[in-house]
Amino acid sequence: MTALDNLLLLALLTVLLLLAGRRLSSLGWYLTILFGAQFAGLLMMGALGYGAPPVPSSLHIGVMGQVMQWRFDALSWLFALITVGAGLTSSWYLAGDWGRHYRQRGGNLWLLQLALAVNVFSMLLLLASGDLLSLFIGWELVSWSAFLLMALNGADAMRAALRYITYAMAGAMAMMAGLGLVLHTAGSLQYADLAAAVPTLSSPQLWGLILLFGMGFGVKMGLLPLHLWQARAYSETPGPGASFLGAVSTRMGLWGLILVLVQLVGLVPIADLAIPYTFLDARELLMWVAALTIILPTYTALRQNDARMLLAWHGIGQGGYMLLGVLMGDAMGSAGGLMHAFNYATYQAPLFMAVYAVRYRTGTSDLNRLGGLVTRMPLSFLVMLVGIIGLAGLPPMNGFVSKWLIYRGLINDGQPLLFIAAVVGTFGTILSVYKLIHNTFLGQLRLEHVEVREAPWSMTVPMLLLSAVVFVTGYLPGLVLDWVAAAQQAVGLPVLVHTLGGVESPLGSLDMIWVSSLMFAGFGIGALLFYAGGNRSKAVHQLDNYAGGHFLSADVRYQYSDHFYAGLMRHIGPLYRNSFQWLEGALGTTVETLGAAMRAFYRQHHPAIYLLAVTTAGLIWVIL
Amino acid sequence: MSIGTLALELLLMPLVAFVVGLAMVLMLRRIGARIQRRVGPPLLQPLYDVVKLYGKQTQISHGIVHDIGIVMAVGGYIAAETLLPVPGMDGIAAKGGLITLVYVLMVPMLGLALGVGQCANPNGSIGISRALTAMLAYDIPFVIVVFGISWHYGTTDLTRIIALQQAAGPAGWGAAEMPLLAIAGLIALHASLGKQPFEIYVAPAEIATGPMVEMGGKYLGGLFVMQCFQLYTASVLYTTLFLGGGENWILFLLKIFAVVAIPMTLAYLFPRYRTEDLVRLLWKWPVLIGLVGLALVMR
Amino acid sequence: MKELDVRIETPEQRPRSNPLARVFDELVRFCRSRSMFMLHYCTGCGAIELPPAMTSRFDMERLGIQPMVTPRQADILLITGYVSIKTLKRVILTYEQMSAPKYVIGICSCTVNGGMYWQSYATAKRLDQYLPVDLYIAGCMPRPEAVITGMRELMAKIRDGRADSWQDYYRRYDWYLGNQQHLFGDDWQTPTDVIGEAEHYRLTGPETLGEHTALLQQHQKPLEPLKLQL
Repeated sequence: MTALDNLLLLALLTVLLLLAGRRLSSLGWYLTILFGAQFAGLLMMGALGYGAPPVPSSLHIGVMGQVMQWRFDALSWLFALITVGAGLTSSWYLAGDWGRHYRQRGGNLWLLQLALAVNVFSMLLLLASGDLLSLFIGWELVSWSAFLLMALNGADAMRAALRYITYAMAGAMAMMAGLGLVLHTAGSLQYADLAAAVPTLSSPQLWGLILLFGMGFGVKMGLLPLHLWQARAYSETPGPGASFLGAVSTRMGLWGLILVLVQLVGLVPIADLAIPYTFLDARELLMWVAALTIILPTYTALRQNDARMLLAWHGIGQGGYMLLGVLMGDAMGSAGGLMHAFNYATYQAPLFMAVYAVRYRTGTSDLNRLGGLVTRMPLSFLVMLVGIIGLAGLPPMNGFVSKWLIYRGLINDGQPLLFIAAVVGTFGTILSVYKLIHNTFLGQLRLEHVEVREAPWSMTVPMLLLSAVVFVTGYLPGLVLDWVAAAQQAVGLPVLVHTLGGVESPLGSLDMIWVSSLMFAGFGIGALLFYAGGNRSKAVHQLDNYAGGHFLSADVRYQYSDHFYAGLMRHIGPLYRNSFQWLEGALGTTVETLGAAMRAFYRQHHPAIYLLAVTTAGLIWVIL
Repeated sequence: MSIGTLALELLLMPLVAFVVGLAMVLMLRRIGARIQRRVGPPLLQPLYDVVKLYGKQTQISHGIVHDIGIVMAVGGYIAAETLLPVPGMDGIAAKGGLITLVYVLMVPMLGLALGVGQCANPNGSIGISRALTAMLAYDIPFVIVVFGISWHYGTTDLTRIIALQQAAGPAGWGAAEMPLLAIAGLIALHASLGKQPFEIYVAPAEIATGPMVEMGGKYLGGLFVMQCFQLYTASVLYTTLFLGGGENWILFLLKIFAVVAIPMTLAYLFPRYRTEDLVRLLWKWPVLIGLVGLALVMR
Repeated sequence: MKELDVRIETPEQRPRSNPLARVFDELVRFCRSRSMFMLHYCTGCGAIELPPAMTSRFDMERLGIQPMVTPRQADILLITGYVSIKTLKRVILTYEQMSAPKYVIGICSCTVNGGMYWQSYATAKRLDQYLPVDLYIAGCMPRPEAVITGMRELMAKIRDGRADSWQDYYRRYDWYLGNQQHLFGDDWQTPTDVIGEAEHYRLTGPETLGEHTALLQQHQKPLEPLKLQL
């Protein structure tokens, strides 16, 4: 029994206990404890994060001449850490009042908890896969367990989940074709055989491999143009489920892309694939896909009026940064990409939790129906503040460090347009997250929310915990960069030389310990100037406000929330054309038409003759 | 460098920034006055304003975030000044660099935005929404400049950028080697100062000074201090990137005052743009000039 | 209605431990006098005389006087003409939203005694019955020179510490409120919690509370600030 066996068994045990323990009264807490145990099990393998050799599983299965095996390397470990961490905090969040509330409103809490456990188990299994066959099986498990989580919440959720599974199945088909291609060219589904066969592949074969696996994993990751399912599906998932899916589920696609494109195929052969009649090669093409994945979803998020949709769209956009960073293939950029996966999970989960805390208390996450909640839910405000600073990538939170590495990598790489694209995405994020926090927590408190209280501790504690992680790993990025460096080593990327505070390099250094400390020192001096200088202030009622001499009253809203960036939208609004929606619709209609035609063909005109023809043709093929 | 010297530098840099910033505010009000054929305010007017505002008897707060917003706005700039090298003092410039500075400078903006948000005044919220839109508009040419500079000098370390320029003399200054980027940068700088014709988020006649609408007493005083820092930071950054930083204090002050004076002289000649026109203008001309400049730098 | 009491009360002398307190007070008073942000409530024709006072001909900015937009930012409230009853409500709201020390200047005869609107049923005749006026600049209309002379007078008053009629509003709030109620009716209420402010800054006097404030408190909609709740 290796440490990996223990972990996987524990995850399986969690699922089994949930299956058996439907009637247990405080199942949520047991689930949290079991996730905690899984987290501990993961920490037992902590040496992986510091460059230890991969941990194998003792389980091997032979199928049709292929050996299926499982192992954990530093990359898997990093992603598993995110997965179990997200599972732990999400289950903690739902263990107390949120779960009770969910059940009272008619939700099936048990199924939600089960789906969470199944998701974590299948993701761990996927991350542990040691060859392409076990990878594919893990992939399917992950796809379907995510479907289970998405489909829980009524008809809208079901529609969104069905849309997801359609995409996921298309992706799975692509991946299966990719698997066939690998089997055909490399003769086996072992990682090592594929890696060895890459130099012998012709360029159409390599293109096929990249596109097929790119599509398979890209669906999960929400890469353009395969992203349409994601925002709706995630935002319809019940609270902790959304925070779990938002934080980590998508990152499985990233993991797969890193595994196949970086570790097995390698970035050099990909960069050698030139696209005729353009200046681009396959790597740059993928980087541009990543850049578009940053920009378009981020600016779609800017237009959302539902906090959940806004966050979910940002989730798609942030995935672009990770892929962009990893594809750069240098030490800084790829470290930034990998680190961003970790950082993103640490702030996306609490952001979703904060939004659901507001929803729990007020019953809505519509950004036009909230406002002024900071006096009522200060802790949730704090969590959201830390989260949005991370999401926007501003110092001193961890999101800044990973984005800094990506920017720095793009400059080193000499990619001005991609650099501009990445920064444009960041600015869009700043605009949109300010709208999020302003419309939820700032501005005028609505009359109906005067009695609202802070969310219960069972919900605020995991949120605050994750916020603390966001801050600490921003202050001491070296903690995470150690793991990232180990992962870089594991997949064969150049390893980032780093310090506890960041990076030291003649190209430009970053020392977050100094930067953050000085920022807080600056705030300290600012506070001294503010509180010591001048008379003490008196708080006034929100209706004691400038309105050009108008007398304000509580029943008339005095708040700016709808169409928040009106001036900007007057300029860029016409650019929103829903082209991808149109494309998806067109594709759907084409398939439907074809299906109808085939059906008509098959049903109405002499089916017997067709059957006979097909049978004869088959017979001839067999005989010859 | 000993800890004592460093601590002294970290204290002096924001202080110098504040004093120079006050002088810049005076200069810009004087320029405005002269263009309108007025006398303009006396020498210490910016100081009088700040002292008066801090000395107000009643101070009106809209809640703790309102207070913290002002603290962040002033404190963020105080921190940012230590990342900006000036003659004889580098502070922690080597530990942050250009990209870090650009992002640290957004923290005071965010603080202000939060503080204004809690004021529960839609004029303020509209002001912030416009300010962020303006930021999106002027920062795109600005990041083109940032990229060009980092590529040209091969580093984002501001002290090294200055050293490289000073070693090459005025012919090796960024403005001489990358004139198109320098022009794009100047337009972006002008817009970032939020003065006419780019003052969409203040717009007194439209949205009652936007973010400042509910600010009085030391809150407004904090914003006045922030404006001093803002003028100083923008001009020093531009001087560092394009005018070879400061060889000594006299030349340094000459350069940074000149950098503020140019856009301010233009500013009072123009009326205000509308938001979308501002975005259109800044995404068209400086971006175009910047991209051409970038292509020339990277050729 | 009581007659206007022109006696200005001396500010409460709190013990100051700081030996530099006097110097400091002196400095702040000087800066106050040299930096006056004005909010001009252009109620009447007097407003037309302000642009020349501000622009290149007379240039108020050389005295440190600037126009401001909202009451929060302003030090001086300029009432430039007759105040109709409907306007007066807004003027009072605006005045109360300003942060102290704040000064009111009545420009034109109309603010002194109603001027040519003396016979109007809809016009408040004497501004100083509703707000503590620091300075009147009489005339119909006063020329910019007169406005600037008035401003200079106010500057001198501020520097000497004589311009403290804003304290009078807190100390004798009951009297001002009574006059306001007489004009606007018993259910008159502004959004600003003047009594709370007076208590917060220890500006209460013997006549801060009285029969009129009692009447106000009977029907007042609560205006406590929204407290941070954990």
